[in-house]
Amino acid sequence: MENKPTSVWTSNRFWRRSATWITGVAAVLLILLTFDSMGQMQMGTAEDIQNKVTKRIPSPVVINYKIDYVLDPYRGHEVPIIGGKTVDSATGKVSSKFEEKEKFFGRDDWSEEEARALIHKGKLTIQAKNCMDCHTLLGNGAYYAPDLTKAWLDPAWSSEGPLQAMTGANSKEEAMATFLQNPDKYPTHERMMPNLGITPEEAKAVVAYLKFMSAIDTNGFPRNFGKIKGAVDARK
Amino acid sequence: MFEPCTDIVCSFWSMLNQGPMTLTIILHTLIVLPMIWIYFDEKKKLQSGE
Repeated sequence: MENKPTSVWTSNRFWRRSATWITGVAAVLLILLTFDSMGQMQMGTAEDIQNKVTKRIPSPVVINYKIDYVLDPYRGHEVPIIGGKTVDSATGKVSSKFEEKEKFFGRDDWSEEEARALIHKGKLTIQAKNCMDCHTLLGNGAYYAPDLTKAWLDPAWSSEGPLQAMTGANSKEEAMATFLQNPDKYPTHERMMPNLGITPEEAKAVVAYLKFMSAIDTNGFPRNFGKIKGAVDARK
Repeated sequence: MFEPCTDIVCSFWSMLNQGPMTLTIILHTLIVLPMIWIYFDEKKKLQSGE
């Protein structure tokens, strides 16, 4: 067989085969990654927390636990820590202990059903009041007001923070709920939040949702939240 | 050299994801290597006059 001078680059069949291959592989990859994402998004259960299994989206019963935001040098970003942290001395990897509880509106024994119902009501309120018209939640929404993904961990709402002091409440959840019911009364920012007619029950549910959302592992998103002074490793 | 898993929920993809670029590089290799084979296969066919 003699070697005829040929150009593969001008051959239609070469491009057709390449295009078929790339499209096929990409389609299969997208399907596999979709199933992977579905696994990642699976909400954890109360048993997971009892068995100290970390899930990206924890069970609603996390509202019974203390939530911290800690830099994980192993993963290279901040991670939410539920109920106290343990540090692996070899890798520096931090993980949740699921032990230390924290009262949420006076209780730390919210059952899975109660917590789920409360968070569901919070979600419906957030949708009904169109929070996303101004705020972002988990990256979705508008850029007029602060991102709420880690709002629960904002040091401004802690016992030493100015926002809790402003409302005169004794706990973070009560301060947030008080603010949400009458946001127009408190001078927070030039862009003041309007009064949306949120009832005390709705405010409680929204705060539960915010606490739950702060415990979702978002791979360190939003990136600039960790730069707020006192937001990360609040308890040294 | 190989980390067992860098993700919170471990899967085949999180094992490939050893660093920010690795998953991308592995997936592109998967696509490009057979294209090199397709190139030489087509060249062979063209030269033999198919």
